[in-house]
Amino acid sequence: MHLHFIDYGIIALYFIFVVGVGFVLKKKIKTGNDFLMSNRSIPLWITSLAFISANLGAQEVLGMAASGSKYGFYTAHYYWLGAAIAMVFLGVFMMPFYYGSKARSVPEFLKLRYDEKTRTFNALSFAVMTVFSSGISLYALAMLMQTILGWDFNLSVWLAAGIVLIYTFLGGLTSAVYNEVLQFFLIVLGIAPLVFIGLHKAGGWEGIMHNVDNVKLHLWKGMENAAHNPMGVDAFSLVFGLGFVLAFGYWCTDFLVVQRAMISRNLNEAQRTPLIAAFPKIFMPIIVILPGIIILALQKQFPGFELPKNANGATDYNMTLPVMLSQLYPSGILGVGITALIASFMSGMAGNVTAFNTVWTFDIYQTHIKKNASEKHYFYIGKVTTVAGILISIATAYFARQFNNIMDLLQLVFSFVNAPLFATFFLGMFWKRTTGHGAFWGLLSGTSAAALTYGLTVAEGKGGWIANIHTFYSGTSQAFNIAWIAFTICFIVTALISLVTKPKPNEQLVGLVYSLTPKQKDPTRVWYKNPLWLGIIVLLITLIFNIIFF
Amino acid sequence: MNKLFDLRFVIGCFFLIVGVLLLLYGFFSDATEQSVNRWCGSIFLLFGIIMLVLSTRNNANDTSAH
Repeated sequence: MHLHFIDYGIIALYFIFVVGVGFVLKKKIKTGNDFLMSNRSIPLWITSLAFISANLGAQEVLGMAASGSKYGFYTAHYYWLGAAIAMVFLGVFMMPFYYGSKARSVPEFLKLRYDEKTRTFNALSFAVMTVFSSGISLYALAMLMQTILGWDFNLSVWLAAGIVLIYTFLGGLTSAVYNEVLQFFLIVLGIAPLVFIGLHKAGGWEGIMHNVDNVKLHLWKGMENAAHNPMGVDAFSLVFGLGFVLAFGYWCTDFLVVQRAMISRNLNEAQRTPLIAAFPKIFMPIIVILPGIIILALQKQFPGFELPKNANGATDYNMTLPVMLSQLYPSGILGVGITALIASFMSGMAGNVTAFNTVWTFDIYQTHIKKNASEKHYFYIGKVTTVAGILISIATAYFARQFNNIMDLLQLVFSFVNAPLFATFFLGMFWKRTTGHGAFWGLLSGTSAAALTYGLTVAEGKGGWIANIHTFYSGTSQAFNIAWIAFTICFIVTALISLVTKPKPNEQLVGLVYSLTPKQKDPTRVWYKNPLWLGIIVLLITLIFNIIFF
Repeated sequence: MNKLFDLRFVIGCFFLIVGVLLLLYGFFSDATEQSVNRWCGSIFLLFGIIMLVLSTRNNANDTSAH
């Protein structure tokens, strides 16, 4: 792929704008609260778009196009089953506790509901995960730029990290959130023409139906058996593992996304943030998955759309979007497409760094290192943490370059930590008897159960380092099964230990547990401001999509 | 200066400039397949203008971070 002056001009313009946002916002950021929590003053449309944009990292943009060509329409389960329902649940049921409790972060909510050790466990694992995820984003960006554009690895790493550092250092969370919204529009408007041109070239919808293997054009067909669908999963692990455990675990407890709703101006807007975000989210497969299916139709009709092989000799599905960009975009719009890719990496990185910042400063530093310091001090620590977070990301990127497998290993460990989390939150919010001891040991045993399941099962040659008592049809199936097993173990252990330990008195749980929190009644509210109605509409549209693409 | 705090203004400016760049390139470049740049440029320009118009309306959804 060869870029021209105009393409470099567009990339440079984008860099100027994101850095400019940081400089403009710098004057508004005066306290630690401004820097780390945007002082809870961000309007609804911005929080909503930032909510999905924080998730619209490169893993999403490149990864979903890759899955689209590998698994076909089945990939849309990550949106309709694996996101929409959980986002509705967060908005309707969980947001009142997060926002109403005045917690500044998800770990701080755990402190209020349970105890210090549960909070610290969550804060530490979250901080480590975010900072390494940020490094992995950086590594993947530099590798991609090296592969498709021939850019120097060091240049990409330091340029991208430098720009993210400038705008997050100057404008804090607000700057990251503002840029996420710009990135959202850039990604959508930069990739939508690719879908349009690709679809047109492939012969429209008819061309897709005619040229793509019918097995890849369904959502539920063949789900009764893992061997009968391209994803290699069965309906139970898909619905329980992905649709319930992984989806709710990510969308309802991951501070990276929840933080975007927690900086809303009031509770109603905080509740509506994930619900409004769910509307673009359920249409996002058009932008991120469809290119992967279009390329399959194009491969049958035209030369040049074949995907390259990776180092192991297997098809490199991650090159789906880059191949489409180089084949279908002329100079000019190609610059916009490449900028959209870079934006998705930087968005993922900045989101992780700002979430890391808040959790480190409030949940680790303020709690364990220096309590009761001045506002100015925590503002200063927030700024230092931003620099430290970026430096660790850079180190991780170089480390990942040396040891390729470290990326797989990190993602695996993250999945062990994430899988049981939703059980802890669910029990905490809906069963007042749940105790801090129960939550802590439940989390630990859930994480251990995930690691143990991985050690005892094999899929696509991975796992089974203890013994092999079961072979899964695919890695995806293994991940979904690990998730529901970890969740179930965490749920049972938390419940059992809670029953034999002393719960917090009821008065300390008001605003934190469903049954002890007064329900809001606001009959004057119009339907489009009512979270419940918005949630029902989202679920109805999702249901219709599932029927259409059954 | 206050205008710069309005995110709609910032996004509007960005897409306006990118739209104009693509249109100019689409019309003045010798390369083939420039129609893509022309229609994409037009759409970006239109989107940029809409965002700028929205940013001039000061309503309850004021985007500045107070």
